[in-house]
Amino acid sequence: MLTELDKEIIASIQGEIEITQRPYLEIAEKLGIGEELLLERMKDLCNRGVIRRFGATIRHQQSGFEANAMVAWKVDEDRIDAVGEKMASLKAVSHCYRRNPTGDWPYNLYTMIHAIDEASCREIAVKLSTETSVSTYTLLFSRRELKKTSMKYFPTNDVQ
Amino acid sequence: MPPIDDVDRAILNRIQSDFPMTKRPYLSIAENFGLSENEVIKRLERLKKKGIIRRIGGNFVPEKLGFVSTLCAAKVPEDKIEGFARTVNRYPGVTHNYQRDNTYNIWFTFIAQSMDEIEGNIEDISRETGVKDIINLPATKMYKIRAHFDL
Repeated sequence: MLTELDKEIIASIQGEIEITQRPYLEIAEKLGIGEELLLERMKDLCNRGVIRRFGATIRHQQSGFEANAMVAWKVDEDRIDAVGEKMASLKAVSHCYRRNPTGDWPYNLYTMIHAIDEASCREIAVKLSTETSVSTYTLLFSRRELKKTSMKYFPTNDVQ
Repeated sequence: MPPIDDVDRAILNRIQSDFPMTKRPYLSIAENFGLSENEVIKRLERLKKKGIIRRIGGNFVPEKLGFVSTLCAAKVPEDKIEGFARTVNRYPGVTHNYQRDNTYNIWFTFIAQSMDEIEGNIEDISRETGVKDIINLPATKMYKIRAHFDL
């Protein structure tokens, strides 16, 4: 269960941690609590798996990972776990999920692949296909970012 | 001049998944690399300004906060993409939205308090934009989620 304080803390660390000497002190003061309590509650939220990751988010396009592709795979259900875990073990794969196929969309396994360029993404897909013997798949390169933001949970009236 | 040097790279690798929760986090980072706190702050300010760092902060598991999340895809005619994106992006729960080269050409993630709310929003989006083919693909199993990139 999340307490009201947990929610307030989540709301105040989901944006930007300032690049200043004492960023947590500023946040704690806004919340009207001590800096030590804030840090203790944050560590607790990490330990409970509520915070998945606490740190810097990098724009890969500006750091050498020029291309990313979502690859949708059509995998026999009776071996989807084995295939999913195999694909997940590759370093170039950042995300790997099973999703239900629907209507005219037959794919049930999804991977995100990151590489230097599109050709490298394609090579990685071929390698994954060969290694897992999954031959039906489609690569979806991102042509344009239309939105990328982080979720704002538990909004307060405070102007952040 | 390369956009980032080896020291930047080491700092970025260090703080992607494990930003210090200490009273002076930039001093903690500095101590890891034998730098001064001031130098770490200066470097991170520059990386932020250059757009290499998008943000420093918390990322949460929606389900642990009582939310649900999903991936949606839509078949949108070329001349309707701008309007469709405007409508979809208006929802605060839509956090990522990409145009991709496929017949399903618009892909967005949706976070909300319930799947019913998301289904309702999809119906509203469909009605407002006239785009009929929108599929909802919630994850049923997660094999990997990583947002750390070795630079």
